[in-house]
Amino acid sequence: MESLSHAFKERSVHALKDETLQVALHRAKDGFAVKRAKAVEGLPEFDVLRDRAVEIKNHTLENLDHYLERYEDAVQRNGGKVHWASSAEDACRIVVEICRAAGAKMITKGKSMVGEEVGINVALEGAGFEVVETDLGEYIIQLAHEPPSHIIVPAVHKTRGQIADLFHENHQKYGLTRKLSEVPEMVNEARQVLRDKYLQADVGITGANFLIAETGTSVIVTNEGNGDLTCSLPKVHIVTSSIEKVLPTAEDATTLLRLLARSATGQDLTTYTTFSTGPKRPDDTDGPEEYHVVLVDNGRSTMLADQFREMLRCIRCGACMNHCPVYGAIGGHAYGWVYPGPMGSVLTPLSVGLKEAGNLPNACTLNGHCAEVCPVRIPLPDLLRTLRHREYQLKLGLKPLRWGLAAWVWFTAHPRIYRLGTRVQARMLALLAGRKGRFTRMPLAGGWFKGGRDLPAPQGQTFMAVWQRRQKERRQ
Amino acid sequence: MSGRETVLAAIRRGLGRGPLGDAARRALDERQGATDSAPLLPKLPKGPLPQVFRVGLEKVSGTMSEIAGMDEVPGAVAGYLAGHGLAPEAAVAPSLESLDWSGAGVQAAFGPTRGGDYAGVSLAWRGVAENGSLVLLSGPENPTSLNFLPDHHIVVLQGKDLLPHLEPVWAALRERGRDGWPRTVNVITGPSRTADIELTIQLGAHGPRSLHVLLVD
Repeated sequence: MESLSHAFKERSVHALKDETLQVALHRAKDGFAVKRAKAVEGLPEFDVLRDRAVEIKNHTLENLDHYLERYEDAVQRNGGKVHWASSAEDACRIVVEICRAAGAKMITKGKSMVGEEVGINVALEGAGFEVVETDLGEYIIQLAHEPPSHIIVPAVHKTRGQIADLFHENHQKYGLTRKLSEVPEMVNEARQVLRDKYLQADVGITGANFLIAETGTSVIVTNEGNGDLTCSLPKVHIVTSSIEKVLPTAEDATTLLRLLARSATGQDLTTYTTFSTGPKRPDDTDGPEEYHVVLVDNGRSTMLADQFREMLRCIRCGACMNHCPVYGAIGGHAYGWVYPGPMGSVLTPLSVGLKEAGNLPNACTLNGHCAEVCPVRIPLPDLLRTLRHREYQLKLGLKPLRWGLAAWVWFTAHPRIYRLGTRVQARMLALLAGRKGRFTRMPLAGGWFKGGRDLPAPQGQTFMAVWQRRQKERRQ
Repeated sequence: MSGRETVLAAIRRGLGRGPLGDAARRALDERQGATDSAPLLPKLPKGPLPQVFRVGLEKVSGTMSEIAGMDEVPGAVAGYLAGHGLAPEAAVAPSLESLDWSGAGVQAAFGPTRGGDYAGVSLAWRGVAENGSLVLLSGPENPTSLNFLPDHHIVVLQGKDLLPHLEPVWAALRERGRDGWPRTVNVITGPSRTADIELTIQLGAHGPRSLHVLLVD
């Protein structure tokens, strides 16, 4: 997918002013956090399981080449085929070729974030195929021609009124005459329309939450059952998966499954956990005739080399964005690429470059909530700080910011001048603020004071001065 | 260089080493999983397994009735269909073909479905008490389409097949030998649902609107 992350600032401002979006975000924010907290409370072993999960992922990443080769062996033994894609272009080319060879016309898709990342829909539509997303959220945003705004609930930014309009516009060809208003009838409408698509599709494409090396199995979790209809009804099943999804055994996957649903939606386990191993067997009466797995690197192998290897533990639960005040204020689209929120602010600059997405790591309060809820203990704030550091070293940030930082570095390296400077500054500001003790405007502050915000003024003495005085008093 | 070699070489570059030696690979193959310790199994609530299973199943809007023997299955299915105002017809897994369906007044079609059937009846391979989950294996005896296309999914689970956690299910599958896994293992926990519109939970998104378990003693 093409990145719009360079316009992060403009897009954030736009998002803050979008009243419909703000309503939708407000609804999502508390719901997710409360549900997760309840689910975690119900499993006393949650924290120990997190340690196990870290151990499992670290071990597998350390031996990633081995487990991927074992995985490939097992897929082949079961009659499937593994394709290796080092870039997004490779992945798209491989998928298009498989669909062409199958003589496909219509393709159904389950939700796949790596599919979004490599831009598979654009590639397939460009090659003349009809592509239908089957996850309800993905289907809604496909009708709206928008990217997902959340990795678990892609259409979380849409209100039911907007969805009713989309169905009204797009479903008249299927016989829908009136505008729907209730959630059940909308879900039902999508169910009816998509049911036919499943049955007509020639190829079904799904992602993978995990791959199991021992058995050559791809695992997907869905609540709707769309992933299952996508991978079991068409005659060809293609799995798109990034390389870091592989795990040694089903037992390892089970440990991660116990964390995934609780962290994502607050469920104990997702409704459908589906383990696919190869195409239909000779005497099976249903299932696909071909089973392909496309393993996508697209920059991940580079991340193995430094501290960003920790990011490859990510199981895409979305807990970090559900607990992020910045995501909660601006939603997912402002981030401008596939992955929003804290995990997206780490992945996006690594994938599309710091020049394009350097602002994302800066849009963080470093409150640490994301790291606290991460089921695989990714130190997201540390990684974001490293990216800020890199941005500074590459001289990419805004010039005033860089100059300011350079000045700050000089001052802190000269403590006497620093103390003198802050002393003078604190007194001046206290004088300027006068009796009110607070500022309601200031030069160069932009729109910061808009809407009645004010800023308390320093009270005349610096912290260092107050501290020294108190220490002296105590000694006397 | 093929895509495969390119990706593997890039991974090894990232890891800062060459390919693993034979001894190292053998050592990895001999492990039971990624960690040295046995899987950590969450402690289940006190009480008999069927009770724990029922609590998990009902938490996710599934329903359950307990019957005394396999010969009671067709009658229980007939009762369920009548109770839901449905015609006495069902798509039934061939694994249950030997039961007396006509005797119970159920018109059973044995084999996969292409939609159009209101009710599907399958036989679970195992049940998992931890979350009230059912484990179904694909195969000619148990077509996968029965699990997803009908509006009502009725699943027969034998008490002897109820296990506490998923881990013993994997152990049992491993006993079937290398490559003993079928095309699909479906772990099903409740009926289909979505929260994609305004985070409102709605049952019956694409799969069954209701899930009923017949636990056979």
